[in-house]
Amino acid sequence: MIPHLFKLIWNKKKTHALLIVEIWASFMVLFGLATLIVVNVGNYREPLGFSYENVWAIGLKANQDTTEIADKLQRVQQRLKAYPEVESVSRMSSNFPFSANTMNNGVEYNKRKVLADFYVTDENFAKTLDMSVASGKWYRNADSVGKYTPVIINQKTKEGLFGDENPLGKIIGEKFRVVGVIDNFKAKGEFMTNRPALFELVKTDAIWNDTMLIKVKPGTDAVFEAKIVKDIASMMTGWSVEVDYLTDSRKNQSNLVLVPIIIALVVSGFLLINVALGLFGVLNLSIAKRRGEIGLRRALGATGNGISTQFISEIWVLATFAMLIGLLFAAQFPLLNVFDLQASIYIIAILIAVAIIYGIVTLCALFPSRQAAMIQPAVALHEE
Amino acid sequence: MINLQNIEKVYRTSTIETLALNNINLDIKKGEFVSIMGPSGCGKSTLLNVMGLLDEPSKGTVQLDGQPVTKYTDKELARLRNQKIGFIFQSFHLINDLSVIDNVEIPLLYRSTNGKPRQEYAKEALTKVGLSNRMKHFPKQLSGGQKQRVAIARAIVGNPDIILADEPTGNLDSAMGNEIMNILQQLNDDGATIVMVTHDEQMAKRTHRLIRLFDGTQVL
Repeated sequence: MIPHLFKLIWNKKKTHALLIVEIWASFMVLFGLATLIVVNVGNYREPLGFSYENVWAIGLKANQDTTEIADKLQRVQQRLKAYPEVESVSRMSSNFPFSANTMNNGVEYNKRKVLADFYVTDENFAKTLDMSVASGKWYRNADSVGKYTPVIINQKTKEGLFGDENPLGKIIGEKFRVVGVIDNFKAKGEFMTNRPALFELVKTDAIWNDTMLIKVKPGTDAVFEAKIVKDIASMMTGWSVEVDYLTDSRKNQSNLVLVPIIIALVVSGFLLINVALGLFGVLNLSIAKRRGEIGLRRALGATGNGISTQFISEIWVLATFAMLIGLLFAAQFPLLNVFDLQASIYIIAILIAVAIIYGIVTLCALFPSRQAAMIQPAVALHEE
Repeated sequence: MINLQNIEKVYRTSTIETLALNNINLDIKKGEFVSIMGPSGCGKSTLLNVMGLLDEPSKGTVQLDGQPVTKYTDKELARLRNQKIGFIFQSFHLINDLSVIDNVEIPLLYRSTNGKPRQEYAKEALTKVGLSNRMKHFPKQLSGGQKQRVAIARAIVGNPDIILADEPTGNLDSAMGNEIMNILQQLNDDGATIVMVTHDEQMAKRTHRLIRLFDGTQVL
């Protein structure tokens, strides 16, 4: 029966051309959307690598003040440490977790190069963000005296530069010495790709790197935030102080990813509803036009269920034609390594799109095919 | 072979009730060639549909080979139609998107006959009706007579015991009509039981027995 249906659909290919294009377009849209979702779900399932609860980022801007900036930053850090509400303080560059800022640079080891996100932090960074070191140790401020700046790298940087080699003690980029390796650090949130990262020890006399991360005790509220802002403002005349709760910043980062996906889902949803309604209409019309054929098939030995199955199978054959064309396009993505994504992501997206298309066409065909099954053969043959 | 007892068929709508067949009693023997005649709307096609298990009588019993089929399920009726009965229609009822041979193969599809033997049987049937050279053609490329011969090939491809023909020559000129009649007669000579609805007295005279209907009632 299946070759018969393929023959029937193939012989009517001109009639079905628009329907095939419609299903093909839906498949491509679904493939794109499914890829986006699979990528983000894959990212979401990878651990963040740090804890952000009760961590605040205090951004300090010296503005017009140009004197003794480094000393003043250290004094602020000491002052923050002195609050009983504060469990830990860490000074870092402005690209604190969930911020909109990014710093990256290429690092090289033995002709292997990776583009890594750079974070300049002090010895308390791991403690403040509750990070664990997989091998080696987190650097200490005292380590800055050596010829090389101590750095921590994440697993991705290790894989890119060292492969299976032990990176501890190795010199990278002529000025960094690896002292520790952490697993993940996804600074832009759960939906961020786990990218190579490198943590460099902050120099105490640096005038940059003016963000303080503080971990406060649970239950510490905005009253304390106001107190900090007031105290720092009185210590540093002319400086501006901005406090970000990492929990809020995380929500903003998540929204940056989720909002476009939700919009794409809504738009695709409408598109698919339109396609489904179109298919439903076309199938209804097709059955109305083929009443004679239905009557004939019943006369020749088809059961009511057989007729219903035939119409569902026909739409499956049509969908298969359309998706075979779609697969020619979709297969280019893993083959050409588009967007540098793993082939498995595209394969999963293709499978999802195929399943949804078959689901939609089946749903659209169910009612019309049941209607076809109920047509009285004698009546249908007489009408013809 | 076909036995009808007290057959009554009533068509009902919300406003009207039409008695299409009234107390029909018929017994058609194996190998008979029977024609049914009567004016338009007298119930000829309805009677043929009841015999062909395409329509259920409102009352009465239909027996095929001595078996009452009135209580058969849809599946059982479909199997009987497929294996025991071949249909020929006035308007041919060919599927325009399938080639001649594919049209002829359809009854065998519902028997799950495999591709190779299916093609062989279809070729054989087309050869019997003299259309072996038109197998790859499509219905639109054929004349009316050729289309009816394809329909006959489709009716006989499964080697059914009974052939039900509803005005098989109605859409054809007399020469074509005679040609179709010759084929039907040949099939009857080969053992098929044929019941044919016709308006043409000349065609009816060529059959063994004539049944006349008037307003749903058997008058001869």
